[in-house]
Amino acid sequence: MRNAATFTVILLMLMNFMAEPTQAADWVVSLNLCTDQLLGLLAPEKIAGLTPLARDPAISYISEAAKAFPIVRPSAESVLALMPDLVLAGPYGAQATIALLRERGVPVLQVGLPQTFDAIRAQLREVADVLGVPERGEHLEEEMDALLDAAPPRLQPPRAVFWGARGQSSGPGSLGDSVLTAAGFTDVGTGRRMALETLAAHPPDLLVVPETPAFPSLATDLLDHPAVRRIPRVVVPPSLIICGGPWTALAVRLLAE
Amino acid sequence: MQIVKLKLPAKRAAVRDPRHVVLALSGLCLLLCVVSILFGAAGFGIPSHIIFWQIRVPRTILALLVGGGLGLSGAALQGGLRNPLADPGLLGITGCAAVGAVAVFYWGLAQRFFPALPIGGMVGAGLGCLLLIGFAGRAPSGPSLILAGVGLSAISAALLALALTLAPNPFALAEITFWLMGGLDDRSLTHVALAAPPLLVGGVMLLRVGRRLDALSLGEATAATLGVPVASTLRLIAAGTALAVGAGAAVAGGIGFVGLVVPHLLRPLLGERPGALLPASVPAGAALLLMADILVRAAVLVLPVSQEPRLGVLTALLGAPFLVAIARKVAP
Repeated sequence: MRNAATFTVILLMLMNFMAEPTQAADWVVSLNLCTDQLLGLLAPEKIAGLTPLARDPAISYISEAAKAFPIVRPSAESVLALMPDLVLAGPYGAQATIALLRERGVPVLQVGLPQTFDAIRAQLREVADVLGVPERGEHLEEEMDALLDAAPPRLQPPRAVFWGARGQSSGPGSLGDSVLTAAGFTDVGTGRRMALETLAAHPPDLLVVPETPAFPSLATDLLDHPAVRRIPRVVVPPSLIICGGPWTALAVRLLAE
Repeated sequence: MQIVKLKLPAKRAAVRDPRHVVLALSGLCLLLCVVSILFGAAGFGIPSHIIFWQIRVPRTILALLVGGGLGLSGAALQGGLRNPLADPGLLGITGCAAVGAVAVFYWGLAQRFFPALPIGGMVGAGLGCLLLIGFAGRAPSGPSLILAGVGLSAISAALLALALTLAPNPFALAEITFWLMGGLDDRSLTHVALAAPPLLVGGVMLLRVGRRLDALSLGEATAATLGVPVASTLRLIAAGTALAVGAGAAVAGGIGFVGLVVPHLLRPLLGERPGALLPASVPAGAALLLMADILVRAAVLVLPVSQEPRLGVLTALLGAPFLVAIARKVAP
């Protein structure tokens, strides 16, 4: 009986060491735009620092609210100075910073890049749990599901393609593909660059393009070429689809109209 | 007494009539135009109305105009500077034009005032010509001119990279390959309308220096006595080059080596007289660039590449061996 109890206690202690942080974090730094937005929506009172990208209205959904949140440069020095309970990061970028932080014993949670709405739901739950706010996570999930369910089903899905800068198109399995399918379209993108002539020769029923940026570049000017001006198009703010999250459902609503 | 038979030098190929050469090259251009209209990413065949007018026609016309302008300015520069290695790309003039165009494009000036784009290119090319004369001196020897050109190319490439790094649009820096190595993909009729007037005006200016170049080839002093001062001829060539190369680089990026190769290809047919080379260098340059553009489109269909190779890559692949061969003759 005593051995069994000791064994259970030791097992629980081992599990505690091996698992990711199990108690809710209170002071959180985010090193990635996508986790910035999740943190900003789920637990704004726990923010120790977001990346400077969170305030850029062209790419961040929470750019207005982020003006009130503290910003930290994503370097190990600045992050350590804040002494956070938890650091949220993405799968790529800031690798050296993350390694340094882990060495210093700071818990780091790296989340992936969700490409489907199921993956978005799973990530939302994971992050909400870690932040200790599962009910807010559920609330956001319900809002997202409501937007998705509101998209009317179509008998014959029209052909559509996401055409981004430099002609990059959405491909099967990508976030753009999930958005188009959820809005009731058939995605005819290849996942690679789609040439102007290909689009002009076999035009889709709908062209989905990102908002024109304030300043031109050849990559974004391409979307206004006279050869494709006749194809009906919908403009989607890039902040909704750069990162997959509950806000991506707003892009679905834009397309469903 | 023995009669010693003298060994006569091998008979040189007869110099052809320039008008015949121009006609033949123009016919080649016409043929290439037809191929270019019929060929593209959508395959080979008669294209739909939109693709024809909005994609194939602008591309073909730009290749002809820019190629002709580059070939002509190369021939004029080689005649005026009396240097067989002169070429707007090698001498850094194209690079400076690209810097001017980039400064105007990425900060939105060209959006508000369309002609600003070729004007930026022309101002850049004009400054480049001034700087070149400044670096190389009034009567530069062969190597010193090329050295000045290398310096100017390096400076303009560095300024280009800096400008693109500082540009407000995050996609700008990735476009450096277009500005350094050129391309005619995704051009529209607007670009044709912007580039055609300066290209045509510059071309006419350069075509009229033919007689002056012939006089210059006799030597500076002799030319002066014939009423052809070097300084004003060089100014005319610089102005014409600034117009033609500046506008060309603004819409097609930095394409080099066309101006180098074209006069050398024509000299076996037309002789050494610089004035004779000028009219033929227009259709020759046009045909060369159009051929390169067709090859670049074919590369997408044949090779597993997601986008077209840059035009400047093909012209450099052709031109660099030429450069090495000529340089060996000039400075063995």
